[in-house]
Amino acid sequence: MVDNNEERAFCGRKKSHKSQEFRERKETRGKKVFNGAKRYIELLRIYAKMDLASLMRDRAFMAIVITADIISNISSISGIFLLAWKFGGIGGMDRFEVLFMLAYGNIVMGFLNMMGGCNALFPSRIIGRGQWEHMFIMPLPYAVQLTVGIFPFTGSSSLLSGIAMLWAAVYHMETVLPWWWLGMLLFQLFISMVIVVAASYLFSSLAFYAPVQCEEISSTVIYSMDHTRNFPLSGMPLYIRYPLLTIFPAGLMAWFPTMILLGKTTTPENFYPAIFALLISFASAYFFRKGFGYYVKKGINRYVSGGHRS
Amino acid sequence: MFQADIARENIMEGNSMERKMSGEGKIFQGEVQFAVKVDSLNKSFTRWQRKENILQEGNNSAKENNSQRKRIFGKEKIKNIFRQEKKTVTALDNVSFRVRRGEFVAYAGPNGAGKSTTMKLLSGILKPTAGSVSVLGMSPEKDRIALMKKLGVLFGNRTELWWDHPVIQSFEWKKVVWDIPDAVYRRNLDMVTELLDIGGIRNTFARELSLGQRMRADLAMMLLHSPELILLDEPTLGLDVVAKRQMIEFLKRINREEGVTILVTSHDMDDLEEMAQRILMISGGKLVYDGSFDGMREITGNLTHFTVTTDGRKPELEGCKLLGGKSGVFEFEVDLSCRPMKGLLERLSQADGVMDVEIRKAPIEQVIAQLYQDWKSA
Repeated sequence: MVDNNEERAFCGRKKSHKSQEFRERKETRGKKVFNGAKRYIELLRIYAKMDLASLMRDRAFMAIVITADIISNISSISGIFLLAWKFGGIGGMDRFEVLFMLAYGNIVMGFLNMMGGCNALFPSRIIGRGQWEHMFIMPLPYAVQLTVGIFPFTGSSSLLSGIAMLWAAVYHMETVLPWWWLGMLLFQLFISMVIVVAASYLFSSLAFYAPVQCEEISSTVIYSMDHTRNFPLSGMPLYIRYPLLTIFPAGLMAWFPTMILLGKTTTPENFYPAIFALLISFASAYFFRKGFGYYVKKGINRYVSGGHRS
Repeated sequence: MFQADIARENIMEGNSMERKMSGEGKIFQGEVQFAVKVDSLNKSFTRWQRKENILQEGNNSAKENNSQRKRIFGKEKIKNIFRQEKKTVTALDNVSFRVRRGEFVAYAGPNGAGKSTTMKLLSGILKPTAGSVSVLGMSPEKDRIALMKKLGVLFGNRTELWWDHPVIQSFEWKKVVWDIPDAVYRRNLDMVTELLDIGGIRNTFARELSLGQRMRADLAMMLLHSPELILLDEPTLGLDVVAKRQMIEFLKRINREEGVTILVTSHDMDDLEEMAQRILMISGGKLVYDGSFDGMREITGNLTHFTVTTDGRKPELEGCKLLGGKSGVFEFEVDLSCRPMKGLLERLSQADGVMDVEIRKAPIEQVIAQLYQDWKSA
């Protein structure tokens, strides 16, 4: 009996000791997450401060740059919108639905451009120009280094024009939007951004093997997707639509998410962008890590035997 | 062979140090701050295959030889387009050395010897094919983030400053990214501003700085987080005499006063000799010398230069090489291992018209040049 009591007391002490350990570990983890978030915000703040300093140094010049950016963004999509206006819509989408699609694409690219202060959107440039060697000596994880370089003041023109156009399109659309629609919009925007970034990193993996030849491969991929995403694919034959939703996913940058947000897709189709984003992210992570392994093993020799292309 | 023997001895000494560190024999003699052991780092690249003497000139006529040459060269050219030879170059081969806390070590070697590769290995930019690298007790590959908080790296041919911002902005950026406490940042900023004389350029844009100013600003930025170890790859590259002197004095001072361990590469051997107490020589990816600068002089035969001032007559000195002479001032070179000093002085005292003699060590540049030449011919 005594033994049992002692055993029970011992087990109780052990349990309370374990729960205390668990509590402490949880607290430490909580503290770690809090400190990590605090530090991340500090890093964002210093980049934002540097961007603001650039803006304030020559306000007139920067005002011209930002205005020119906004005009350029609007003009790049005006052709499609004017066609939609003239013909009362394109391929089953009315003129404001087309405007919505164009605005959606602008927000996707605008946000990515704003976050891409350290060439985060164009990793092949970082690799090709040997900038990764600067990143090695910074005491920060690579993912943090790539995502904190923001341009909130000088690089947000595309995002702002996109938001303004989206607001105008939603205001004029006849569709009644449910309360959860905003959450859906944010989710779809996130998925589209993941697809663009993953595609850029997937192709940029090649730059680890051929740094000079592939230095600009990410910008080629992104800009060609950016130019193609403006075309509404409704009514297009399947042999055009399918490649643009799979091997060259420009259709997932604006058109397909717009169809989902406007309720013009079936329930299984609604999951497609998220599944695609997941698959391309895995592929991109796999090939990028493989290329990175090659980089640290062999180094980047910019002047490989590439003839005049070196 | 002699150099290789010395290197081997030093490597063995390093191995015994490692045993001491690991606790074998329970002997702890001082704390070793970082250890490097790299075995056979391979770096591969492709290059055009060139074949020389592919044509066997026989008793054929000139016309036949020409047509044969055309045929073979044509075939080779086509082969070269489609099938390049892949040659594996070994950048570092079984290099081992240890550097103690507070040491100032020069790392030298001819172009392409593997100096920058070693620097990249130590800073985690490259991974060794085989062997291990330990910096401040950490693995540059696995503990990169923790290590970079204690390590300062400066490559002379590139800058860490933000090009389109004033220097002070780059410093503030570094404070946040390296998470430097306010007090440490302020103390170090004051120190580098004073010692490197950068007060006048703190608010200048990095793109507007001269090379010397830029190097000083880069060095200042590197020191803001109080690194325990500094890796400098060609820090004096392209600097003028004044800027170079300023940098050397500063590095010597922080090594002496702050106890910072420094490993520096440079092609300027006189600078290295002035700064460092020890030199590691690398050639063709192999460590060929680890020791003092004087020890290196002995390897090359203890070359000594001396100047003899006479009333105009040229002294005849056997075993001494005349380097030049003008208006009664003659410069000679002698290998003291072949011609002892005692005999030389006796001969000089007997020579007619000798008024003054000045003896000095051969410049380290010349010693190194001779070593490079020996390795090349070997």
